[in-house]
Amino acid sequence: MAILNDFEYKKPKELDVALSLLSSHHEKAKILAGGTDLVVYLKEDILQPKLIIDIKGLSDLNKIEISDDYITIGAGVTFTDIIESKNIKEKLPILYQASESVASIGIRNRATVVGNICSAVPSLDSAPALLVYDSYVLTQNKSSKRSISIHDWFTGPKKTTLKPDELVLGIKIPVIKHTGVYEKLGRYKGEDLAQAGIGIMVYDTNKYRIAHCAVGPIPKRMKKLEDFLNGKEISNEVVTKAKKIITEEIFPISDIRSSAEYRSHMMKVMFERGLKKSIARAKGGKS
Amino acid sequence: MNDLKYVGKPSVRIDGKEKISGATKYTEDIEYGPNLHYAAIVESTEAHAKIVNIDTSEAEKVSGVVGIYTGKDFPFKFGLYMKDRFIFAMDTVNYVGQQIAAVVARDEKTAQKAAKLVKVKYEPLPAIFDQMEAFKDDATIIHPNLGNYEHVPWFFPQANTNIAHWRKTRRGDVKKGFDDADFILEDNYSVPRYSHCPLENHAAVGLCDLSDRLTIWASSQSPHTQRNLFAESLAPLGFSHKDIRVIAPPIGGGFGGKAGVSMEILAAALATKVKGKPIKILWSREQEFYNTSQRQGLLAKIKIGAKKDGTFTAIDHRLYWDTGASAEYGANVVNAVGLSAIGPYRFKNISIDSVCLYTNLPPCGAYRGFGYSEFMFGLESHINRIANELNIDPVEIRKKNAIRENDTLAYGVAMNPNGLLECIDKVAEKIKWKEKHKTKDINTKVGKGFSLIWKAPAMPPNASSAAFLKFSEDGSINILVSGMDMGQGYLTVMAQIAAEILKVPLSKIRTENPDTDRNPYEWQTVASHVTWSCGNAVRKAAINARNQIFDVVSRTLYLSKDMLYLEDEKVKCKTKKNFELPLKDFVINGIQAEDSTFKGGPIMGHGLFMPEYTSANSDPETSQGGHPNVHYTVGAAAISLEVDKDTGEIHIEKAVEAIDVGKAINPSLVNGQITGGLLQGLATVLYEDMRFDDKGKMLNPNFTDYKIPTAKDVPDEIVPIIVEVPQPDGPFGARGVGEHTMIPAAPMIANAVDDALGIRIKSMPITKEKIALTYLKKEK
Repeated sequence: MAILNDFEYKKPKELDVALSLLSSHHEKAKILAGGTDLVVYLKEDILQPKLIIDIKGLSDLNKIEISDDYITIGAGVTFTDIIESKNIKEKLPILYQASESVASIGIRNRATVVGNICSAVPSLDSAPALLVYDSYVLTQNKSSKRSISIHDWFTGPKKTTLKPDELVLGIKIPVIKHTGVYEKLGRYKGEDLAQAGIGIMVYDTNKYRIAHCAVGPIPKRMKKLEDFLNGKEISNEVVTKAKKIITEEIFPISDIRSSAEYRSHMMKVMFERGLKKSIARAKGGKS
Repeated sequence: MNDLKYVGKPSVRIDGKEKISGATKYTEDIEYGPNLHYAAIVESTEAHAKIVNIDTSEAEKVSGVVGIYTGKDFPFKFGLYMKDRFIFAMDTVNYVGQQIAAVVARDEKTAQKAAKLVKVKYEPLPAIFDQMEAFKDDATIIHPNLGNYEHVPWFFPQANTNIAHWRKTRRGDVKKGFDDADFILEDNYSVPRYSHCPLENHAAVGLCDLSDRLTIWASSQSPHTQRNLFAESLAPLGFSHKDIRVIAPPIGGGFGGKAGVSMEILAAALATKVKGKPIKILWSREQEFYNTSQRQGLLAKIKIGAKKDGTFTAIDHRLYWDTGASAEYGANVVNAVGLSAIGPYRFKNISIDSVCLYTNLPPCGAYRGFGYSEFMFGLESHINRIANELNIDPVEIRKKNAIRENDTLAYGVAMNPNGLLECIDKVAEKIKWKEKHKTKDINTKVGKGFSLIWKAPAMPPNASSAAFLKFSEDGSINILVSGMDMGQGYLTVMAQIAAEILKVPLSKIRTENPDTDRNPYEWQTVASHVTWSCGNAVRKAAINARNQIFDVVSRTLYLSKDMLYLEDEKVKCKTKKNFELPLKDFVINGIQAEDSTFKGGPIMGHGLFMPEYTSANSDPETSQGGHPNVHYTVGAAAISLEVDKDTGEIHIEKAVEAIDVGKAINPSLVNGQITGGLLQGLATVLYEDMRFDDKGKMLNPNFTDYKIPTAKDVPDEIVPIIVEVPQPDGPFGARGVGEHTMIPAAPMIANAVDDALGIRIKSMPITKEKIALTYLKKEK
């Protein structure tokens, strides 16, 4: 299919130029980074932007910045960049694992983590990791900067708190010592959108953070589950009780990809298996 | 046959270099010149509706639009076995996605933009999306003129119903058979629709020049049949067969989806309106799903009776097919199954009803397996259950009832020679049927499943193949045939057959995909019949050329014809040891006689094959009296898997498949068919599922939600086994194998899941979700 809509294409080298283009065009402009969602929307004529701003020319945004307390992932950083970063594999293993589960190699070579949270589909793989890490989304418009908690970022399916004149510069992730997993439900071993996903983080002594994706309108932390688990040593009895809480915190739908019943069932299975894996990893001494 | 030099060898494909070097030009790649135009299609958004008005006024204003055409421009019907389709929808639309109009423009984007501006006003009619609804007495009639449609004599459409065809087969005394049974099992099995998913979408280019010479380039399995259907359909415009030329470039996968005619008719028809300009139509992936042809959905009701010792006493098999809006090809799938739904078993008492029903879903047609995958899912599941109920090993019950040579088939003809029992034994041994392996993972259970394989080519009784074979100055050979290589290696196999007869190495033989102007007739590349049928034609053409060679050598050099033979590209003589004449010395320029004149000339062989013993005529109430099928290819397969009881995920450790191919002309290509076909079958049972909303719109015309396996989903090990019990009328004993390879996949998965978890799933696909939720319910 040809792209039917005509648009202008700009690839600024300066952040200021990109921001002023955004401020003069607002919704009529679309940001192009990996393009793995945008180009599909253009081909299917779902979006008809007047201007496409390619931010791959903004070289400052293509970096992963590492400090003792934080890791910052720029807006141009692809999932392949994440997978190939030793620091991320060591310090943010849940994000690493989630990145490995995104689509296929070809897509991961182009798709960005920031693009993933800007698309904000309920099934986005990177969300559970970013949620359990209490990450911040760094944005900027012509006049000011914002640092938005990831917990306030998602406002609905495919909706975020980002304003039309704002550009996401990156995601800032606090680094703390932990183990964890991202468990994903797909229909086969090949690339698939998550039908359910759960990120589990184990840190300190018996402290837990847990978040889901694809089982509600937005990816979210599972606070009731965390409150129940925190401070507890994990036993079969604890897991059995915890699994009952899961259903209170998810709102799965039935669609072509999966039934609500299977999504619910699998959240419990993935929680149990993921938690046990995380604890085994913690005991194995690996971070 | 032990001294074969080229046949039976795992030769590298003769088109391999062309493919891997990127030299291959597919339909879309060919350069059609600066006058190339594009067509975009206006599609129905309704499943069943009257067309009240088509407003093209806005679209016509778009600069670059050359013409907009609708059903009124081409009030002609077409269809392979039954003429029940129009080129564009006429007064009514019968499915979502049906073509209503086409916009022809200078470029693709303009055509697509303008197509969006065409406004169609509909008056909705009640629509049917379930074949059992279509079967009801008071159902809305989808084809009110069914009684007047032209069709082949072996179809029995019923006017004023949605029944496009009803094949009845009766043999023996079914009532007595069930009375004699110690145990009877009766149940239903359902199979959804499937899509072929070729790598290359459908593509066609039509050019009608100013002298009314019509050429169509198409990604096709059936160039001659397409030419015939174009000529029939466009005859009112003055075209005859000689004016129409179909060029079939290499194709990127067919699987039955490019058999017969679907969207290609648009290229042919539109070209007649915009003369002198080639018009290109490329199907998008979405259109590939919803407007080519699909595999029919099936509801099968099976009743089988058996003695305590496992001997089958009777079968009553009722099959209700969802053929969609057109039955022109799908009804022959229904017909084939109606003749063969006993499976590879000895049944004396048989009742089969195979019913083809119109619905308001997209048209269905041929798909690798031609109905056998669908009914074998139910039948092979059912037989496993009977074995379990009678406490008989599932392999033993199959061996006990397996069909043998000269057993009587459902339609009263003797079964061909076959190695079914050998296949069963070899598969059971390789899969270690009696052993239960262990799993370390506490969440998984292990299981094994078995299934037999059974299929005959479904062809008109006079389907034929023809071949030309010509030499060049250096003794190399061009073979002209009209079958299609679509990955199976047909061209290589034809070359191997000619090489064997003429003792010329494969490196000196070229065979290419056809052009109907230059290449001799071939019915279609379907039904797993070209190795057998066209192979016979090539063999005869090679023998014909050899006779010409011996003839000229004999009359010029005074050697007895009977003493001549070919070896290493030379003519040799049994009685004259030092005589040898290289082919290159005379196959074009002849042999110089003593008086210095030349005798002979270019050697050109020709051959044809038609199975002269077949007949489609039989009693419509019983199907007795004809000889509809040429032969059955049989085999067996088994699978060993681990299934996660909580997630339902299946991990296939090993799959074994044995097929009696008569003679493997090229064993490595046969092994490729077994591996590829098995994987395609596993895809249909584990992942694929066409879904429609309640308005008849397909929900997953994309690979995001219509899943076909990736390299990660391939079984750990696939063991292909070739069995060779020669087919008496096959070239070197060969019979067909292409489709059969996928047939056992679905039932053996169902049987293995039952073995592992004790749950019987009777509807395809058997997804991990279905397994997990079924097991969860069982445990509660």
